[in-house]
Amino acid sequence: MIELQNVTLAYQAEAAALYNINLTIDKGEFVFITGPSGAGKSSLLRLLYGALEPTTGQVLVDGHNVSHLKPSQVPLLRRSIGVVFQDFKLLQNRTVFENVAITLEVLGWGRADIGKKTMAILKKVGIEAKYGQFPQLLSGGEQQRVALARALVNDPKILLADEPTGNLDEANKDLILSVFNEANIRGTTVVVATHDKRLIEQSHKRLVTLNKGEFVEQAHIE
Amino acid sequence: MLFFLTRAFINIRQHAFVNVVTMGTIALAMFIASLFLLVFVNLESAMDNWSERVQITVYFDRELAPPEQSQLQQRITAIAGVSRATYVSRAEALVRFKSRLKGQGTLLEGVRADVLPTSFEINLKQQYRETGSVEAVVTRLKAIPGITEVQFGEEWVKRFNLFLDFMRFLGSLLGAFLIIAVIFIVSNTIKLTIYSRRDELDVMALVGATRFFIKAPFLLEGIIQGVVGTGSALLLLFGLYEGFMYNAGDYIPFNPLSSGLMFIPYEYCAALLGAGALLGFIGSLTSLKRFITT
Repeated sequence: MIELQNVTLAYQAEAAALYNINLTIDKGEFVFITGPSGAGKSSLLRLLYGALEPTTGQVLVDGHNVSHLKPSQVPLLRRSIGVVFQDFKLLQNRTVFENVAITLEVLGWGRADIGKKTMAILKKVGIEAKYGQFPQLLSGGEQQRVALARALVNDPKILLADEPTGNLDEANKDLILSVFNEANIRGTTVVVATHDKRLIEQSHKRLVTLNKGEFVEQAHIE
Repeated sequence: MLFFLTRAFINIRQHAFVNVVTMGTIALAMFIASLFLLVFVNLESAMDNWSERVQITVYFDRELAPPEQSQLQQRITAIAGVSRATYVSRAEALVRFKSRLKGQGTLLEGVRADVLPTSFEINLKQQYRETGSVEAVVTRLKAIPGITEVQFGEEWVKRFNLFLDFMRFLGSLLGAFLIIAVIFIVSNTIKLTIYSRRDELDVMALVGATRFFIKAPFLLEGIIQGVVGTGSALLLLFGLYEGFMYNAGDYIPFNPLSSGLMFIPYEYCAALLGAGALLGFIGSLTSLKRFITT
C-alpha cells in the first residue's frame, strides 16, 4: 500500500529532513512513526499525501508514484487518504456538519447521501448532537473528533495522523485511538506520527523510529 | 454551476464582514472611475458642441439662380466630410450684417445688398473637424469653379484642435492612471480576502478537491463582488447626479437641467459593470494562483 525506496528529502540549503528512508507498509497495517521533534515524522507524512516531493528516491502510495505526480493527479491521490492534524485544521466559519460534508462535496456526492453519510460518521465519533455548532464552541477533543470524521467519512484506504493526540486529555486520546482501531479493523491502513509513548504502548502495533531524518529501528510493540 | 453559485453566495454570507469591506472598497474605487468617466463624457459632449463652430464659408461675387444654387449645393455636399451646406443670399447677408451692427444703423446708411457677396456656409461631419481634414475639404472646394474665396478661420481651427487634442491626452493620461490604480486596489483587496481564507483552500486541497473545484466559488465570488461594488458605485453616482441636477441650480449661476449635462450613457454603465466583473474575476484568479500550490 505504501512504499518508500531510498527516499531523501532536503529543504533548500538545509540538512536533509529525511535521509535514505526505506519503508514498506502493507494494506491494512497500523503503524506508528515516532521520534523526537525534528526527526522527520511530519515530513514523511507530507510525502505520503503529496504535499512534498522527495528530493531523491521513490514514494509509492496506493499505486501512485508520488515522486512523479502531476499537480492534476494530486487530488486523486488525496481522495484515497484521510489526514488528521494536531491543530485539527477545521474551518471556523462552517458548522461541524459542513466541515465533515466538505469531503463528500468534493467527491460530487448527492445532497441526501451527504446528509446520511455525514450524520453516520458523526455518530460513530460521538459528536452527532453538535452537528450544527461551530468549531470554536467545541473542546479540543471534540474538534479532533470532527477532524477525524472528516478524514474517515469517505472510507479512505489510508488514514494519516500527525500528532493527533497532542492537544488532548487521556480520555479523548483513548477515544481517538479506538476510532483509529475501528477504521483499521475495517481495512484502512493507518499511519500515526506521534511521540506519545502511552499511545504507542497501549496500541500494540508496529513502530518505526526516526531520528534526525534517519531510520533508527522498527519494532512491534507487544 | 448551480452548486458553485450556491457555494459562492453561502461563502459571502459566512464571510459577510470581509465581503462588505471588499465590495465597499471596489465601490469606492469604481465610484472614482465612474465620476471621472462622467466628467469625461460631458467634456467630450461639450467639445463636440464647440466643434460645431468649425465652419467653412465659400463666397461668390454674384447672386446665384435657384437651379445653380441647388447644383452647387449638391456638388459641395458630395465632398467627403461635408454634412450640410446652407446658401446665404445677398439679402440675407445684409439682414445678418444689420443685426450684427444693431445700434450703429447710421454706418449702414446707403449700403445696398448687392455690395455683399453671396455664400454657402458649410458644416462638417464630426470626424472631419480636425485641421488636416478641414484643409482637405477646403482644397476640394477651391477646385469648384465660381467660388471666389474660401474662409475657415484657419488659426482658430488649429488652436481649437490643439486644445481638443490636449484635453483628450490629459483625459487619457488621467484615465490610464485611474485604471491602473483601480486594478491595483481591487486586486489587492481581493487578495487580502482570499488570504484571510487560505485555510479553506488548504482544507479543500487536503480532502482531494481539484483546482477547478477550489477556484470556482472564489472566482464567482470575485465576479459578484465586482458587479455589486460597481453597481453600488453607479447608483451612488446617479443619486449624486440627480441631486446635483435638481438642487444645484440654487447655488450655481446656471441651471444644470438646461445645461446639457448628461449621466453616463447606458452602454458605458454596462461596460463599467462588465469591467467590475472582469476585475473581480481576474483579481480572484491571480490571488488564487498564489495560494493554491498543490
